[in-house]
Amino acid sequence: MSDSIFELVDNLPQNNITTMMLKSLDSIVPGEWENTVGFVDTIRKVTGETDEELIQQIGDRAVWLYNDKSQGYRRAMWLYQMVDRSDKALGSAALANKVGNKIPLVGGLLSKITPNPEKAQALDLSIKLVVELVAFCQINGIPGDSIGDFVGALGDYSGESLMRMAALVCVDGLIPLGPDFILKAQSTLSGIGPKDLESNSTFQGVSESIPGGNSKGKLDFIGESFGSVKGWMADFVNSKNLSPEKVMKNLQGFLEFSDNKLDYVAAFIDVSTNYYEHTGTQTLARRLIERAFDEI
Amino acid sequence: MISLRKYLVALILSSCLLFTACSQQAPSRFDDAQQQSTSKGATAVVDTSQSGGTFNRYFPDGNSQYERIYSQEKKGFAEAKLKAEGKEIAILSISDTTNNPSAIAKFKESSSKISGYPAVTQGTSGTAVLVGDRYQVKIRSKDSSFSESDRQAWLSKFDLRGLSKLK
Repeated sequence: MSDSIFELVDNLPQNNITTMMLKSLDSIVPGEWENTVGFVDTIRKVTGETDEELIQQIGDRAVWLYNDKSQGYRRAMWLYQMVDRSDKALGSAALANKVGNKIPLVGGLLSKITPNPEKAQALDLSIKLVVELVAFCQINGIPGDSIGDFVGALGDYSGESLMRMAALVCVDGLIPLGPDFILKAQSTLSGIGPKDLESNSTFQGVSESIPGGNSKGKLDFIGESFGSVKGWMADFVNSKNLSPEKVMKNLQGFLEFSDNKLDYVAAFIDVSTNYYEHTGTQTLARRLIERAFDEI
Repeated sequence: MISLRKYLVALILSSCLLFTACSQQAPSRFDDAQQQSTSKGATAVVDTSQSGGTFNRYFPDGNSQYERIYSQEKKGFAEAKLKAEGKEIAILSISDTTNNPSAIAKFKESSSKISGYPAVTQGTSGTAVLVGDRYQVKIRSKDSSFSESDRQAWLSKFDLRGLSKLK
C-alpha cells in the first residue's frame, strides 16, 4: 500500500466502478463532485495557482504535514481505507463484462454476490457514519468525540465530502434498507449488544479508532452519533425527494439489473466499490493542501 | 559501427529504464520532502508552537454580508472560511511560523506593509502579513470577486496588534 500522500492521490483511478457509481449520483448533488486525481492537479485545482515553484512549496509542506503522525491525517486516511476495503477481483470481473457503458448484473457475477442481512447492513451504515465523524475531527482538528461540532459542520459540507454523504444515504441506506432506513438502523442499534458489534467485520476493522473505551461504550457512541445525525439525513432525503426507486434509476445509469434485485445491487456496490476511500482521499488532500498553502 | 554501438547502448539503457519504471512508482518531485519528513525525529509541527485555539480571538468577525466559519484548528494553525451569500469567497488563516521557519524569508524581501506589518502577495490568490516576526496572517481568494484590495482590507480587520503581543 502506498505510504505517501502524493502516491495515494496520484494512484486514484480516473475511471472504475467506484467513479461510475459516484457519477451516476451526480443529479442528486449536482456539480458537487468532480473526479480530480493526481497530486499536482489537485494542488492546481484547490489553489487556482499555476506557478511551479509555488506548487512545489505547497506540495512539500503538505507531504510534511501528512507524515507527522501527531497531525491526525494518517489516522483519517487509515479510517477511510479500512471502512471499505473492496474486492478488487470482483470489480475487475464486473468491468470485463461491461456492455457499452453498463455492467449487467446477471449470471456468474450475480452468483458471486451474497446480500447482507439487514442487521449487518444497518450496522455498516452506522459505523460508516461514525468513521466520517472521527475522520472529520482528525482532519480538521476538533476533539475526537465532538459530535455537536460535526453535526454543525455537516450543513457546510460540499464537494467530494457532500458526495460521500449522498452516496452513504443512497447506497448504504435507501437501497439496502428501504425508505425507512433511519428507523431500521436505530432499532438495530438499540436492539443489539456489544457481542453483536464485535462480530461485525466493518467494526472489527476500525474499532480501535472509535471513542468509547470498551465495546459497550463504543456501541453507545455509535448510537449517540447516529441519533445526532439522523435529522440531517432525514432532511437530506426530504429536500432531494429521495426514494429507493429514484436512486435505483440513477444507478441504472451504469448498472443493469432487474427491479427485484435491489439487495443484490447493494451487495454488489458494497464489495466492488470503495467510495469512502476514494472521496476520503480527495477530501484529505484538499484540506492538507489548503493548510499547506496557508503555512508556507 | 561506433554509432551503431552507441545506438545499441542507448536502446539497452532506455529499455532498462522502462522496465524499472513499470515495476515501481515513477520518481516524484516530492520524493525529497517524503524522505526528509519520514526520517527519524522529523516533525512538521513543534511542541513549542501556539495551540490553534488561541488564534481564534484575533480573527475578524463576520457581518450581515459576510459569514465567517472556522474550518481547521491544529497546533500552530487556525483557519476560517469567509462566505458571501452562501458561497465561499476567501480563506482566512493564522499560522505560527515556528513550525515552518522558511515562511519568514519572503517578508524580508518585501517593502510593502499593511497596518504597519510586513506584507507580501503570494501567487495570484494570496496576501499575507507577518506579525511580531512570528505569526503569519494570510488571506486567499477563492472567488475572483474577492480582489487583492479586499484581501488587504480584511487583513487589517484582524486584531494584528493583539496577536503581536501573543507569547
